[in-house]
Amino acid sequence: MRPRVDVLVIGAGLAGLMAAWQAAVAGCRVRVITRGPGALFWHAGCVDVLGYAAQDTERPVAAPRDALLHLVNANPAHPYARVGLEGVETALSALQQVCEAAGYPLRGDLSHNWLLPSAVGAFRPTCLAPETMVSGDLARRDPLLIVGFEGMLDFYPELVADNLAEQERPARSVRLDLPSLRERRQLTPVTLAQLFEAPEFRRQVAEALRPKLGRAARVGFPAVLGVHRPLEVKQDLEAKLGREVFEIPTLPPSVPGMRLYTILVEAVRQAGGDVFTGMEAVRAEAENGRVQAVFTEAAARLNPHRAHAFVLATGGLLGGGIVADADGHLREVILGLPVQGPESQTKWFRQEFLASEDHPVYAAGVAVDERFRPVGAKGVPLYTNLFVAGMTLAGDDVIRRRALDGVAVATGYAVGQHAARSVQEAMR
Amino acid sequence: MNTWPVELTLDNCIKCTICVTACPVAAVTDRFPGPKYEGPQAARFRHAGQPTPDHSVDYCSGCRVCNMVCPTGVRIAEINARARASMVAQGALSWRTRLRNNVLARPETLGRWGYRVAPLLNALLHSTWARAAAHVLLGIDRRAPLPTLVREPFTMWFHGRPTPRGAKRRVIYFHGCSTQYYEPRVGRAAVRLLEAHGFEVIVPPQTCCGLPLLSNGEFEAARALYRDNVRRLVGYARQGYPIVGTSTSCTLTLKEEAPELLDIHDDDARLLAERTFDLSEFLVSLAEEGESTPVDLQPVARRALYHAPCQYRAHRLGAPSLELLRRIPELDLVESRADCCGIAGTYGFKREKYDIAMRVGRPLFDQVRESGVSVVICDSETCRWQLAHATGVPAVHPVELLAKAYGV
Repeated sequence: MRPRVDVLVIGAGLAGLMAAWQAAVAGCRVRVITRGPGALFWHAGCVDVLGYAAQDTERPVAAPRDALLHLVNANPAHPYARVGLEGVETALSALQQVCEAAGYPLRGDLSHNWLLPSAVGAFRPTCLAPETMVSGDLARRDPLLIVGFEGMLDFYPELVADNLAEQERPARSVRLDLPSLRERRQLTPVTLAQLFEAPEFRRQVAEALRPKLGRAARVGFPAVLGVHRPLEVKQDLEAKLGREVFEIPTLPPSVPGMRLYTILVEAVRQAGGDVFTGMEAVRAEAENGRVQAVFTEAAARLNPHRAHAFVLATGGLLGGGIVADADGHLREVILGLPVQGPESQTKWFRQEFLASEDHPVYAAGVAVDERFRPVGAKGVPLYTNLFVAGMTLAGDDVIRRRALDGVAVATGYAVGQHAARSVQEAMR
Repeated sequence: MNTWPVELTLDNCIKCTICVTACPVAAVTDRFPGPKYEGPQAARFRHAGQPTPDHSVDYCSGCRVCNMVCPTGVRIAEINARARASMVAQGALSWRTRLRNNVLARPETLGRWGYRVAPLLNALLHSTWARAAAHVLLGIDRRAPLPTLVREPFTMWFHGRPTPRGAKRRVIYFHGCSTQYYEPRVGRAAVRLLEAHGFEVIVPPQTCCGLPLLSNGEFEAARALYRDNVRRLVGYARQGYPIVGTSTSCTLTLKEEAPELLDIHDDDARLLAERTFDLSEFLVSLAEEGESTPVDLQPVARRALYHAPCQYRAHRLGAPSLELLRRIPELDLVESRADCCGIAGTYGFKREKYDIAMRVGRPLFDQVRESGVSVVICDSETCRWQLAHATGVPAVHPVELLAKAYGV
């Protein structure tokens, strides 16, 4: 059997797409398969690298680089330690470059964390944020106006403003009741984002908003300022309102996450790769320590995907890459890889649910060697051509650390290169 | 293979709304509130023996884009198709709508009698006054791209030619109604291409796959056709012959749609499904099994846009046609980024849905016009008609260009 592709990537979240893009750039024929484009459609569109350090879970990290250095020294099995600080930095700037080239710059670097408002008005430490969000930085204390839309169910401006005000950030809210929206049967974030692309709709918004600006120095909108040309939308609104404008992430589907998805899928395709949705990987076939094929569910058959190297970026417990059986036993869904984590369900959580310490189950994942290949009990790779990236990896509660996206980007980038190298070795 | 009953999958819905953001129909009309609302949510209010609560599900085009993007495996399009069928069964559609739908959904009936008087019938059916009458009386939109009947159906050509000798293996060809009565050139190309690969091609008697009826909620009529095909074809499947088709929606119906929507899961149905292949899928699998291309491909120096239709993507095999087309030297391929051309089988032919279908297809039409291609390539017949109608650029099946490259 001759493989039709060099690298098969399973999963189209940040980790999978970064890996696919890098492998394709390195000259491999790449195919990405995904059940549905999940993770990025639920994603705030920012890259959290390290928001809270394990040793201080109360105060957000101010400078991720220093905290990262501490983390990789203290925990050599951490995904970040496997990549190395330099590797993290390279991966982040690669992502920044591809976004910049797409006209959607991500601002920030490892020397500093932004503090941006979340959908409920909490403070959200994040390292890279799209240009459309950075004016919401809560290190500043100038007054904010938070705007919502009558009929939009996925954003509550009053909640955001009240919570910000309680944290000593002067904020008010306003809900716009626009005649052009009343006719719409439903207002999802995407519907609104499409409307915002039209200059006439922006004129209506600005007109309704101008009398309510008061002494607000900046205006926060739900993150629906355009699907394709958000910078243009933001700048136009700023010109019309005479105020700085920024976006706050909404409930899913999240437009900023979809923008990242579109940019990365396009980058994969530009580099010659294919991305297919509607393909659920259900099992794999291995021989002589190499994965030979992964099978996806198709109409009336299983569809084999043969490749020289395979990237597993199927997510963790939340994304569906790891599932728990009824008895609490954790397992990786496609290859049945061993999962490092609590042995029984009684050890999943600590005694106090809201304790500041991590719950062990959230750090569960697949243990890997220095090339991100899954290892067995003795630390020996189980397959020489299988690489794991993102949330599937063991080692940390990345949600609690606010490090999910950073780990996905950094490990995805690294795994893409490891996979490409393994293809080159196999061809030799 | 997904063996879950269709309706049970609604419990997998996590309300992420990804399907609504991807739905090509909800994006252009408020008449269809979106797959999440019509599928998993409304399905909770539909009960056997009770009137159906919402008729807007009839505006689902059945394109399956929702299924393809659902991260939790809800079979939304099938839930909608069944909901439409219970509307039909409950008499929620007027007799006039059902008459119209049945006229559109039975291409074989018209073809079987019509080809004998094709020139006359074409002149009649395409005349302005007949289209106006069909528009007003039946609800078949006067602008919709009705195909033209041929005088010589595919099988007449096939059975009228000498059988090539020397083939060591056999394949069964499922031509479908459109190849038989409207585009026999697709069947001729398929037969020649398969013969170039060393196959003896057998074309047994067969009937419409039943998909147009299924997507119009006429399940009982579809069941009769499907049973008939199983009866005619399962013997070949039992002997191990592959059954290969060029009409992507026909092969998908035999593989999955019909048995799943009609709840027919006997051994014969399963065997036929397993042995049915899309032509490109079949050719790619030959190559993957190590077979080399029998001839050096000749260049086809054209700029062409390839659009993988919804029903093709719903096979969940990726893009085998694209893989084959990429092998043709000098073929300058532009890939469609659009999800749907809008026509969705019989949907875009209907008066109340024609404009929706055209709005759904607009991004694709724009891409075709802006890319300056001289031909569009697409695996599904109604999509080809829609694309040619909307853009003025001729549309062909991938097998037609492949046959050209193979020099057959």
